[in-house]
Amino acid sequence: MSGELAVTGLRVAYNRGVPVVDGVDLRVPGGTLTALLGPSGCGKTTVLKVVAGLLTAGAGEVRIDGAPVLGLPAERRPVGMVFQKPLLFGHLTVGDNVAFGLRMRGVPRAARRSRARAMLDLVGLPDVAGRRVGELSGGQEQRVALARALVLDPRVLLLDEPFSALDAELRLRMRELVRRLQRELSTTMVFVTHDQQEAVDLADDVALMLDGRIEAVGPPSSFYADPPTLSAARFFGGVNEVRGTVTGSSFACPLGELRLGVPAPDGPGVLVVRPESLRILGADGAPNTVPATVREARFAGTHRTVVTTAGGIGLTATVAPAVPVEPGDRIPLQLPPSALRVLPDTAATDTTGADTTAAATPAAAAPVAATAPTTEDEDVRA
Amino acid sequence: MTVTRELRPATRPARVPRGLRVALLLAPALGVVVVLFGGGFVQAVAQSVGYQPYPPARDLSLDAYRALWADPAVRASVGITLRVALVSTAAAAVLGVAAALLVRSLGRTRRGFAALLQVTLPLPHAVAALAMILLLAQSGALSRVAAGLGWVDGPADFPALTQDAFGWGIIASYVWKEAPFVAVVVLAALSSGVAELEDAARALGASAAQRLRHVLLPVLAPAVAAASVLVLAFTLGSYEVPFLLGRPFPATLPVVAYQQFRDPDLAARPLAMAIAVVTAVLVGACAVAYLSLSERLRG
Amino acid sequence: MSRAASGRRAAGAGLLAAALLVPLVPLLLWAVAGEFRYPALTPELSGRGLALLGDPAVRAALGTSLLIALTVAALATVIGAAAGRALGCHTFPGRRAVQLLLLAPVIVPTLAVTLGIQVFLIRYGLADTVAGVVLVQLIPTVPYVSLVMSASFAGLDAGVEDAGRVLGAGPVRRLVHVTLPAVAPGLAVAALFAFLISWSEYILTLLIGGGTVQTLPLLLFAAIGSADLTAAAALSLVIAVPPVLLVGLTARFLTGPTAATVGFGRL
Repeated sequence: MSGELAVTGLRVAYNRGVPVVDGVDLRVPGGTLTALLGPSGCGKTTVLKVVAGLLTAGAGEVRIDGAPVLGLPAERRPVGMVFQKPLLFGHLTVGDNVAFGLRMRGVPRAARRSRARAMLDLVGLPDVAGRRVGELSGGQEQRVALARALVLDPRVLLLDEPFSALDAELRLRMRELVRRLQRELSTTMVFVTHDQQEAVDLADDVALMLDGRIEAVGPPSSFYADPPTLSAARFFGGVNEVRGTVTGSSFACPLGELRLGVPAPDGPGVLVVRPESLRILGADGAPNTVPATVREARFAGTHRTVVTTAGGIGLTATVAPAVPVEPGDRIPLQLPPSALRVLPDTAATDTTGADTTAAATPAAAAPVAATAPTTEDEDVRA
Repeated sequence: MTVTRELRPATRPARVPRGLRVALLLAPALGVVVVLFGGGFVQAVAQSVGYQPYPPARDLSLDAYRALWADPAVRASVGITLRVALVSTAAAAVLGVAAALLVRSLGRTRRGFAALLQVTLPLPHAVAALAMILLLAQSGALSRVAAGLGWVDGPADFPALTQDAFGWGIIASYVWKEAPFVAVVVLAALSSGVAELEDAARALGASAAQRLRHVLLPVLAPAVAAASVLVLAFTLGSYEVPFLLGRPFPATLPVVAYQQFRDPDLAARPLAMAIAVVTAVLVGACAVAYLSLSERLRG
Repeated sequence: MSRAASGRRAAGAGLLAAALLVPLVPLLLWAVAGEFRYPALTPELSGRGLALLGDPAVRAALGTSLLIALTVAALATVIGAAAGRALGCHTFPGRRAVQLLLLAPVIVPTLAVTLGIQVFLIRYGLADTVAGVVLVQLIPTVPYVSLVMSASFAGLDAGVEDAGRVLGAGPVRRLVHVTLPAVAPGLAVAALFAFLISWSEYILTLLIGGGTVQTLPLLLFAAIGSADLTAAAALSLVIAVPPVLLVGLTARFLTGPTAATVGFGRL
């Protein structure tokens, strides 16, 4: 039993409106953790709830280990879920909360107790089984919620921003806990988050979701080194963009003719390069070196952020704290060919990169209502 | 220009000390409760054991309570009072919870039904009792419908549902008013948080019946219990409905208390007071039981 | 959702609506009834019932009912709001005891204690007067308003008053411009229920008013007692309509999980 999750062509619309999830395809290999990353309102929680059975899909298919599950009510799916809030049952003790699902399955009391205790040990709460829920701290509550879901041995565990209400320090510790549990139990997990750092920290794969669609899927590092789309590059933030035209392996833009280390199709495009890839005060004669003027140099702890203009375009670089640049300096700025990527200009007008959610792909603008069944408002709740 | 003005201390003392302020705020309300309510209760107890303020009489004895205990009529009253109150409360609680869960499950019509629940709530009990008389009496609307369908030949054929020995009419009137009350309280307790808890239970494999038994009812229990105590207290101590819908004998305790109190023979006064005291103590005991229970449940 | 389940739901909804509304139908029919003999299902229509409402006795009772209910509502709201302020915004020794003391009259029937003080009201000349009736009706209403207002004041952010103070508002302006607007919904609900409790009251009015103070519920009981069902039904409508309208108008304040709904338990 590997616990492979496959979502295909998923579409969900509330109150016969515009679909909030439209054509989502997602494959999570058994025993791995995929982070479903996206800004709030992009539909990622909706996908999770459809997989769990708490919402009904308008169209599409969800399979676990090849078997379709959309026909099953939530309570009969081999799926566990941890919510944004702990949602512990206030009238039960901590131990009874963890044993709740086992009780629903008719597991005898003694067996439930020992399994609940073992699971509480595993999440690092060995001595709280007899306590009341109200006596727990926020972090402890989410640990109990994790234990409560995992004790049922789900083939897929869904986590819906479970740590977003916790403070930064605690969130880091909870990430480690999830990572450890995932390794020890090899449960397939889908972790919803809007925090790219959390996604990168946790996941084997990151699925970036924007505007109800999966924008891109891949290992976390690929989103930095080789962003699949312009929107994806922008969501991960801090990226420099230069508009121009590709001819062969050269890119014509206001900075001049730049050499590309990675081929791109001919025609107009947007060149993206991460600030940490830019080199200043580089060796003479290095390719793609352009004259730049320093506008601002900010100390940022582990590095300095240097804002420059070159050829009328703003370029931001990050450099070691000790590098001596001051506003007004004229410096050579190198864009190493291997760090440059040219992507199709899908996000037509937005050059600031501030509003990533507004970056609609042409496909998303395709007619949405054509096949959308008009779900009755109450019936969308399964 | 120099203006020398002494700065006032940042926290200048309040003109009225806090303790006095609290006392002044509370005084009128406590006056009403202590003098009128507490005083009334103490007087009822005193007058039940033979004390009379005007004209003064201090012929103290527990005769009224002995008479109350010995009198089969009073015991019959206790029986019907408890029966009517318990049956009404239980029915109002069960139907109220069912109605609330039903209304919650409705789609578009949900708001309309929630408003509909509030139609009977503000009706005075006397009006509700009259409605039940016109509906349930042997010559009432139901009897007429039954006659129209050929089920009964005349009023005498129709079962006595008002002024009956069991108290069905009283119960019907109370349930018609109080089940929506319970429903409104339960609907208020059925916040979105409860729906989220049910989702969590679903994800843990709980079926609809299991969610009702293991999540909904435990979550709603405090609200239902609180509403039920109010209903029980009201049905034990209210006069209007049993007066209009019940038999003169055996009547419920508040009706008997008033009857005895109206008796021109002042010798009946202690008995009236004793019955009033017993009723009040009965209701108070329910409330205390509820409070201690809820404290214990809260842990 | 299965078809059977939604069918059951629709049936349940229909049953609920019928259970709530059907008992009102005979009442409405009788109010406009002339001849309405068994086993007729509908009456001969007659304006007699509604014409009775123009009767001077009914108009006088309407005035007395309004006078008493408005006075009770005003007094109970002022007295209860003061106590609610103390309970909701201050901690002091004996606070819990005061709360329990105020809860007692909400639960224990007022009739039981009113029997005990009736002789004193006679003695002090308050029996058979509107003032005496108002006084005893304060027993259930003041504690109720106190409880509602203590919840309302407890929900008031103390910082708001401090903000008003820092912005230069003195005690009176703070009360008028900051505190009262913040607790206004609670005040409205509390006053409404105090009015309704008084408006519906029969036995306390009879006991203390001695039949001299004639309110609408007293006329209703008299009509039922004399088996004039048309008059009784017509009077019922006069008594029932103001509460239903008032609750309808304030419904949006009443649905929240507030102590306010407890008021319905007293009606």
